[in-house]
Amino acid sequence: MKEVETIPRHYLLKQLPSFIALVDNNHILVDASDSWLSQFGEDPNKGLGTSIMDLFLKHKGIGPKRLEECLTKNKTCTIRHKKVENTNQQWFKSTFVPWFDEEENVLGTIIQTEDISIAIEKDKELEKAKTLLKTKSEVAKVGSWEYDIATEKLTWSDVTRAIHQVSSNYEPTVSEGLEFYKSGYCRNKISMLFHKALQDGTPFNERLVIITKNGEERWVIAGGKAIKKNGKIEKLFGTFQDIHEQVMAEARTRESEQLLTTLIDNLPLNVFVKDQDSRKILVNKSECDYLGTTPENLIGKTDFELYDKKIAQISRDEDLEVMRTLKPMLGQETINVRKDGSSTHFLTSKIPLLDVEGKVYGLIGMSMDISNLKQKEDELRDLINVTAIQNKKLINFAHIVSHNLRSHTANFSMLLDFLIKEKDEKEKNRIMNMLSHASDNLLDTLENLNEVVDISTNVNLEKKSLNLTENITRVRQNLSAFLEKNKTEFKNNVQDELTVMSVPAYLESIILNLVTNAVKYRNPNKNPIIELNAKKQDKHVIFSISDNGLGIDLDRYGGKIFGMYKTFHNNKDARGLGLYIIKNQIEAMGGNITVSSEVNKGSTFNVYFNEENQ
Amino acid sequence: MFILMKKINSIYIIDDDPITIFGIKKMLKTVADCPDIAAFENGKLALDDLLARMKNEGPVPEVIFLDINMPIMDGWEFLEEFVTLDVKKRIIINVITSSIDPSDYQKWNYFRLKCLHYLNFKNKPIYKIDATDLKRINIAS
Repeated sequence: MKEVETIPRHYLLKQLPSFIALVDNNHILVDASDSWLSQFGEDPNKGLGTSIMDLFLKHKGIGPKRLEECLTKNKTCTIRHKKVENTNQQWFKSTFVPWFDEEENVLGTIIQTEDISIAIEKDKELEKAKTLLKTKSEVAKVGSWEYDIATEKLTWSDVTRAIHQVSSNYEPTVSEGLEFYKSGYCRNKISMLFHKALQDGTPFNERLVIITKNGEERWVIAGGKAIKKNGKIEKLFGTFQDIHEQVMAEARTRESEQLLTTLIDNLPLNVFVKDQDSRKILVNKSECDYLGTTPENLIGKTDFELYDKKIAQISRDEDLEVMRTLKPMLGQETINVRKDGSSTHFLTSKIPLLDVEGKVYGLIGMSMDISNLKQKEDELRDLINVTAIQNKKLINFAHIVSHNLRSHTANFSMLLDFLIKEKDEKEKNRIMNMLSHASDNLLDTLENLNEVVDISTNVNLEKKSLNLTENITRVRQNLSAFLEKNKTEFKNNVQDELTVMSVPAYLESIILNLVTNAVKYRNPNKNPIIELNAKKQDKHVIFSISDNGLGIDLDRYGGKIFGMYKTFHNNKDARGLGLYIIKNQIEAMGGNITVSSEVNKGSTFNVYFNEENQ
Repeated sequence: MFILMKKINSIYIIDDDPITIFGIKKMLKTVADCPDIAAFENGKLALDDLLARMKNEGPVPEVIFLDINMPIMDGWEFLEEFVTLDVKKRIIINVITSSIDPSDYQKWNYFRLKCLHYLNFKNKPIYKIDATDLKRINIAS
């Protein structure tokens, strides 16, 4: 202790900012900078004179043996140690150098301590960064390459080698490297880019295809850039990345998109997607064709801009309902009316469109044009109606037939009953006459019924183009005696060349019946006047026959004017069922007949000849 | 055989078939004593005659034989007019038809309930005139 007291304190040393300590051969701290002492947690005024061993052992990472060595070997040596205070770590590097006097006698050891925490941190970070980079490049399959111009040496990284499926010690030449690219476009392109980079340093980054050592085709991105020194290109450095999976995935996505677009566009349905405000966000070709415009003109539009206001409101209400309830509307019959007023029948479905969280963000709509179907349905309904009418007519006819035949047989039966009971010869004769009369009536009735049945069964009798005037003239000649007797004035205003489509026998029957009726129901106080007219109208020729006769109380008899009456056996006038027959004939030819009349003024019958075939 | 002849003032036969008229007239001869049997071809002619008789306070028929199917005015149309007339007596109307159309029977039933007169429905052929075709005993009175 005496010696320690004799060694003077170097005031200069005490103030040094770097950490310096002097230790004597007994490992006792003889002097130190205040900064050094503070690193070991010692008071600058008290630390001196303590054992250096005790001080160092306060730190971690240093053993007494190693410390002993450094203090005694008289050689420069370095120790790393760290101070741990709570969670903080502080790294130090202490250099031990022998302490000589002027005669090169060893006095002890000079210890220089440095805080190397920052350097250590940096080292660690660098290490971390390197590991990260390596991991990253492995995961992302990004490799690298380097080409030294001076040595003509091409170096591949591990990943680059792996992508090429070559062994980890493979070292290619430039031409070998380029050979891996698929011959044709890819190899030409990479060769060009490589040489251009060599020449003037143009960087490149290109998607290309290589063929690996195992013969697989793979998509890669090859990038390269020049490294210059003093303006001279020294090296080329680049990345090399396997993007095969991405490219394939992209191709698949494109394919499925293409498939979906083709499918949606070619569906014979109008397909549309709407957002929550019922604005169209997708339309297919059918929808565009239906609205006669392009997708650009439809996207973002609502039904209010495309359809009739009322229809648009109905559609919007449907949209809201579907999006509110999340229940699809399926196969609803709807009518769309476009702005121009044309309407189309659709079978429409609307399905709510949900995002990944199950929240509705719009709807998919599909509409099938069923206008044709609807029309067919209407036609079918018409046909059913026609059939029902025909059926009713048939039943009616059956009743008439049964009634008429029954009335004759009833007469036979009654007369025969009389005949059996009658004793008087004169009366018997009378009854016999009546029986023969009844028999004639029955035959007449059967003939008349036959005539009616003929019309109904020969529906397909051939219609011909017939000159109307010629037929009128013929009927007039046949009836000349009858017309003259009744002092009939006959006015024919029909144009000479006018023709109608009719079954020849029917046309004659129609004219004959109408002319005869006009005279028969004449006004007894006037001479009959008959006027005939005809005109073309649309698909019909209207043939009119007017008289100045008794007229018909249409309010009362309008319903049965063309009906079949029980007039067959009243043989005074065989034409009693004339109107019934001609109505059937006209209808069988696809036409119709109407009447207008006023009591005591006269009647006009209009016959519509159907000029279309059937 | 003794047959009770019923005394009837006036009878109408409305039918467009002369054989039926002949038959009815012949059958009436054996059961009815009637000085005034009038026949008409259709409802219109009968109605016109009836209106004329009522105007002149002549005899109104007590019994009518009425066919259904006739031209111009048929049996139903005649009835439609007849029920509106101011006829005080209850008249027996025999609707006679060869029709087996159920709608005719329904119409008969409709008129039977609608009018105050006695309405009979007879299908042809008929072989004799029944007593009820000519007279009704008024049970209610």
